[in-house]
Amino acid sequence: MTHIPRIGIGGPVGSGKSMLIERLVPMLAEKGYSVSIISNDVISKEDADRMRTNLATNRGLLPENLVIGLATGGCPHTAIREDPSMNLSVIEEMESKHPDLDLIIIESGGDNITTTFSPILADYSIYIIDVAGGDKYPRKGGLGIESCDLLVINKIDLATMVGANLEIMKKDAKKIRNEKPFEFINCKTDEGVMKVTEHVIHGVLLDSTPKSAITQKV
Amino acid sequence: MYMNIDEIEQELGVMQLSDSFFPTGIYATSNGLEFLFIEKKIHGMTDLVKLIRISIIQQLGPSDCVALANVFDSANKYDFDKVIEADSIVFATKSIKEIRDASVRSGVQLIKCVVEFVKDDKILNQYKDNIVENKVHGVFPVAFAVCCNALKIKKEKSMMMMLYGFTVGIVGAALRLGLIQHFEGQKIIHSIKPIISQTIKEYSNKSLSEIWQFAPQIDIVQMSHEKMDSKMFIT
Repeated sequence: MTHIPRIGIGGPVGSGKSMLIERLVPMLAEKGYSVSIISNDVISKEDADRMRTNLATNRGLLPENLVIGLATGGCPHTAIREDPSMNLSVIEEMESKHPDLDLIIIESGGDNITTTFSPILADYSIYIIDVAGGDKYPRKGGLGIESCDLLVINKIDLATMVGANLEIMKKDAKKIRNEKPFEFINCKTDEGVMKVTEHVIHGVLLDSTPKSAITQKV
Repeated sequence: MYMNIDEIEQELGVMQLSDSFFPTGIYATSNGLEFLFIEKKIHGMTDLVKLIRISIIQQLGPSDCVALANVFDSANKYDFDKVIEADSIVFATKSIKEIRDASVRSGVQLIKCVVEFVKDDKILNQYKDNIVENKVHGVFPVAFAVCCNALKIKKEKSMMMMLYGFTVGIVGAALRLGLIQHFEGQKIIHSIKPIISQTIKEYSNKSLSEIWQFAPQIDIVQMSHEKMDSKMFIT
């Protein structure tokens, strides 16, 4: 069976996971990459429904049935780490029915800084936090912040309003992540989101040509 | 009386497959309990015991347990056609889509995990190959029987593990929903033990043609769960 590259996006509730996906997918689509989304939600299908409406129904960037909401039985961390069976099952189905996909995005509605993805589930992971949690956030560390492939700090436009110093966050992120990458973004204006897209294309898709482009050439 | 090395290994197999740490995704299922809870149609320990009792007596015992037992007998005779038949019958008896899908997802993941560490079991490998080729569904009771048999776990013990796992799964869901507290959870598990033992006694030697299940109210509850907008559990 074809292995479709997978990226895990985790982070606290309200940090902007779904919003980041809503910004990333059009940028990837613009470059010809076809994407599907699995949204592991803590309690509802709201995130999946919103992404389906915004990305599939309204903009036609992907088929509606390729945005899937998955309930996690109140155990969001288990669903992506200790026992990713249900996610893997959905992914295997996607890989078998849609081998032409370039990327599967797995969103996890986890709720704390220890969220990580099982390496069998995600080839690459993004952990997203926002400045409203305070500029101490990167410094506090936690598995999610420290071990992800890319740390994203969202809502930088709010920094002055909540008294968060971006320079401190930058210094701490650099220190705690041992030089691994991090990006400051503002999903509302797309500021910095293209850089995240480039990380995804380089780090997950290995700069490969979109499958649709290859098919067209053939 | 002491256990020999083989017996100890078999018991470790029992512990491994019974452990909630074993990855089958069952923690994400409530078998309709979430709907009953949200609709305020279930209240505390007594109601929960009734729900588990009815599920075992009217569904799991006469259907899943009979299939599991038959797969064991077929595996011992290397009769793979009977394993396929059991898979097909159990799939057909799970009339609620959400429950049927969850059973297949868990069963397939169980098989895929066990083949990673049990390499020399003919029926297990054949069942896995048939799943990959879409020739069988991979429903949980059949997959569980194939895996237990591959780990040399006895038939009755496997039935016990499956029913115990189901009970713990519902109790766990009830705890996370806030329906009961942790001591009550253990009291429930204890109170279900006679139901489990009676079910094993009753259904360990029935034929596949004797499979049935009938719990229409639970079916309706599970169908209603499928339609819920906001939910924490897959089933």
